[in-house]
Amino acid sequence: MITPFLLATLWVADGPPAGAPGGPPLALDCAKALVCAHRGAQVVDRARVVVRDGRIEAVGARQELAAPAGAVVEDLGALWLVPGFIDLHSHIGGDFGINDMVYQANPELRVSTAVVPENANLRRALAAGVTTILFIPGSGTNCGGQGILLKTAGATFDEMLVREPGSLKIAQADNPARWGYGMGRGMMNWTIREFCSRGRAYARAWAEFESGTGPQPERDLMFDVFRDLYAGRTQVSTHTQVYQVVYNTLRILRQELGLPTYIDHGEFDAFLLGELARELDVAGILGPRSISSQVKSRGVDHDGKIIGLAAGWQEHGLVEIGFNTDAPVVPAEELPLQAAMGVHYGFDDARLQALRGLTIVPARTAGIDDRVGSIEAGKDADLLAVRGDPVDPRTGIERAWVGGRVVHVSTQGGRTW
Amino acid sequence: MNSLLLLGAALLGSVMPSLVAQETSGSKSSDAKTADAKKDEAKKADPEPKWFAVVGGDVHTGTGGLLRGATVLAKDGVIESVGYSTDLPEGTEVLSARGLQVYPGLVAISASLAVSQGSRFLAEDDLHMRCCVDFGKNGHLHEGPLDAELDLLLADQAGLVDAQSDLRDAYDPFSSSLLMTLAVGITSAEQSGGALKLKRGEIDGVVMRERFLSSFTWTSASSGKTQLREKFAAAARYLREKREWDVRKDKVKDLPEPSKKGIEQKILSVLDGSARAKFNANDRDDLLGIARLAQEFGFRPVIEGCVEGWIVAEELGRAGAYAIVYPRQRRDKDENLVRAGGSSIENAAILHAHGVQVAIGPASNGIDLGGITGRDLLHLTVDADFAVRGGMTDAAALAGITTVPARILGIDHRVGTLEKGKDCDVIVTDGDVLHYETLVQYTVVAGKIAYDKQKELLFAHIRPRTPGDGKTSNSSGDSAPASAESQPPQR
Repeated sequence: MITPFLLATLWVADGPPAGAPGGPPLALDCAKALVCAHRGAQVVDRARVVVRDGRIEAVGARQELAAPAGAVVEDLGALWLVPGFIDLHSHIGGDFGINDMVYQANPELRVSTAVVPENANLRRALAAGVTTILFIPGSGTNCGGQGILLKTAGATFDEMLVREPGSLKIAQADNPARWGYGMGRGMMNWTIREFCSRGRAYARAWAEFESGTGPQPERDLMFDVFRDLYAGRTQVSTHTQVYQVVYNTLRILRQELGLPTYIDHGEFDAFLLGELARELDVAGILGPRSISSQVKSRGVDHDGKIIGLAAGWQEHGLVEIGFNTDAPVVPAEELPLQAAMGVHYGFDDARLQALRGLTIVPARTAGIDDRVGSIEAGKDADLLAVRGDPVDPRTGIERAWVGGRVVHVSTQGGRTW
Repeated sequence: MNSLLLLGAALLGSVMPSLVAQETSGSKSSDAKTADAKKDEAKKADPEPKWFAVVGGDVHTGTGGLLRGATVLAKDGVIESVGYSTDLPEGTEVLSARGLQVYPGLVAISASLAVSQGSRFLAEDDLHMRCCVDFGKNGHLHEGPLDAELDLLLADQAGLVDAQSDLRDAYDPFSSSLLMTLAVGITSAEQSGGALKLKRGEIDGVVMRERFLSSFTWTSASSGKTQLREKFAAAARYLREKREWDVRKDKVKDLPEPSKKGIEQKILSVLDGSARAKFNANDRDDLLGIARLAQEFGFRPVIEGCVEGWIVAEELGRAGAYAIVYPRQRRDKDENLVRAGGSSIENAAILHAHGVQVAIGPASNGIDLGGITGRDLLHLTVDADFAVRGGMTDAAALAGITTVPARILGIDHRVGTLEKGKDCDVIVTDGDVLHYETLVQYTVVAGKIAYDKQKELLFAHIRPRTPGDGKTSNSSGDSAPASAESQPPQR
C-alpha cells in the first residue's frame, strides 16, 4: 500500500506524474487483476499493469512482464485492480436543464450544454469507482435529445468528453405521455416511427451524396444525429420497460428501422423477451429497479414471486446484461450495488458477470470498448484498486485512476464513499 | 401459519408412537383407547415443554463466539443451551442447519409501522407508478390503489402514534409485510418507541416493551435549548427532593410532599431510567448540546441521524450516547464553515471507535416492492455493509442490527444474541449474513419456524436449497435417546 507521503512525492515531482500523458511509464503491481476482457481469461494473478501516456500498455503476470525502462514501479500489495465502472443511464453530469419538452420528439437537443465538471455528484460517483457515464436527457417526450459520454474526472468539458453524441435518447411509454393530453402508446409509437423514418431518409440522402450517387441534401439540424446513428457512430438508448413496450422497442427501432439500440431499464416483465433481444443483438442495461413483483395495474403478475430482473433476462437467454442507476433516482455511487442486488435476486455471477455488467458489457453496448471497459492493452488507464470483490458494498475504492492520473485516494481526507 | 402447522405436527409426533403400537398389536380394546385419550387430556392440562433445536449449523452467537457445527436448543421458545454434544429431549423438533450459518434474529430500529400493518407500495419513481399489494390491516388484498385509501392509512398511522394505543391491537400477524420482514431475518422491530417480537400467526407475546424510547425535540434556537435544560433541571430537583422526602417523611411530621406541578413525566421517566430519551439531531452543535445535557443530568441519550457525529465522536462517546446511524445519509459540508462538516461514510466506524453504541438503520424504513432495492427495511444488511465500507468491522456492523438496537429498545435481555435464557429468535442463512448473495433460509421466532424460504413463494425460486440442507424432523422416543449429531470441527 502506497503511503500518502510517497503519493505526495509522486505528485509534486517535476513534470506529469508517472502513467499520465507526458510522464514516465507506470507499472502497477497487484495481487489480482480482474481484467474483464470480452473474451478469454478474466483474472490475472500477481498481475502487472503497465500504463504509459494515460493508456494501458501491457497487462500480464508479474514474472512474465518486465517493467519498461524508466518506469515507476508501484506495488499495490494485496490490492486488486479492476476496470473503472460505466453507468449508461445518468442525469448527474451537470445541471438538470435536460428535459426541454419543446416538441413531442426533440432529436436535436443536446445535454452537452448542461455539463458541469467536478460537480459534487460526479465527485462522489468517482469515489465509488464510476469513471464513465452516459449523461442523457429526461424522458418527458418521446425523444429528449442527445446524451453525451463523459469521464467523471476532468476539470474541463474537453477533458471529460468521451463521445458526442453519446446516444439518442428515445422514451417509448409512460413518462413521455405527460407531454400532451390524452397521449397513449399508439400515438407515441406512431411518433417514434414517424420521426425516425424521416431521420433514416435524411441519413440515406447524405450517404448517397457522400458516395457520389445523389445531390447534396439541405442540412437539417433536427435530423443530423441520424447520420451518426446509421453510420454506427452512436446508438439509441431506449427508455423502455414492460413486455409490450420492450417488444415494440425490438420490433420498431431494431427490426423495422434498423437502428443500433439497447434496452435501457428493461423492467417489470420485459425479461420474457430475453431470447428475442439476444437474436437481434440488443443488450439490456437494467435499472434503477432490480426486482419485479406483482403490479396489478400493469397486468404484471409473477404468482407471488419476487423476480430479480437480471436473473430473469439471463434465464430467458440474454447474455449482454449491464446495470444502471438512472442517477439520481439511485445515487450514482451505488452503481455497484445495483449489480450486487442483481446477484442477490438470482443473477448467476459464476463468470464475473456482475462486474462485467459494470464494465465491459456497457462499454460494448455503447460502442466505446476500444477505450474503456476492461484492463487490456490500448485502452484508457481507468483503473480501480480494491481490497476484494468490487461488487460487495463493503468494498470501498482505495484508489482510482482515470487516463493514468490518480483521481481518488481513500486515505486523503477520509473516505468520501 | 406455517409455524402453527409445524406445531401441530410436533404435537402429532408425540402421539404417534401409541398409534403405531395400536396397529402392530392388531386390535386394541376400547378401554385402551380411552386410556390413551385420558393420557392426552392429562397432557393438555399440564403441557409438556416444547423443545426445539437448530442443529449442525455454524452458530454466530453475537457474543464473540463462532461455534462451527453446534446446536441451539430451546425450551418453550427460550434458549436452553448453545454448544456441542447436546442431548435432545424426546419430541424435540429439529431443524437441521448443516452447511448453513446461524445468527441471532435481526433487530430493526426505526422500522415504521410497515411491518405489522401491511404496507403501502408506493413507488416514487419516474413512472409515478402506484401499486399497492396489501394494506394488511384487515388482510384484504386491494386492487388498484386509491389516494383516499392511502390517506386513510396515513391517518390511521398518525392516530396510532398520537394516541399511543396498544401496539398489540394494531398487530396483524398475517400481514404480507410481516412475512417479507421475516423473510429477510428481522425478528424484532421498533414501533412507536416500543419493541415488537414479530410472531407470525399469533398475537400473544408480540409486545416486548412499549413506549420505552421517548422522543425529545432538540431545537437549535438557544431559547429552546434553555427551556429544555430548565425542564430537566426542574425534574432533577424534584427527584432529589422526592428522595429526601421519602427518607424523612416518617421522622418529620407533616413534611410536605414535593410538588410535581410543572414537572414533565416524560423527563422523570428518562431520569429514573424507565424510559430512554431519543433525539433526532445531525448538526455538530446540536450533538454537542445533547451530549452536555446528558452528562449534566446523567442519562444516556439516543441520537438518531447523528450525521456530523464523526466530528464530535469523542464527546458523544464520553456522554455514553447511543447513535442510530443511516450510513448512506448524504449531506454536503456547509462551505461557509472552516471546520469539518457534512456526512461521512466513515461516521458509524468513527463513532464506534469512540465508544458510541451504534445501531444501523435502513436508508428508508418502509417496505418497497416498487422495484428499487437495496435501501428499504428489506435490505437492512446492505446498510450494515455500508458501515463496513466506512471502516467498521463486520462484527460491529452486525451488532448494529442486533445487539445495539436491542439495547436501545431495552430488550437486550431477551434478544440480540444467542445465549442461554434469551428468546430463541434465530435466522439460518446460506452464507455470511452481510454478503450480498446470502439469502435467509429459515427464520425462527420464539422457538418456532416462522419462515422457510422453500415453502413460501417469494424467494423459493432463487438458488433453491439443495435437498438435504436444512430439514426438520422430530426426534422420536422409540429410538435411543436422541443426541444432536453436532460435533466440534475436526482440526
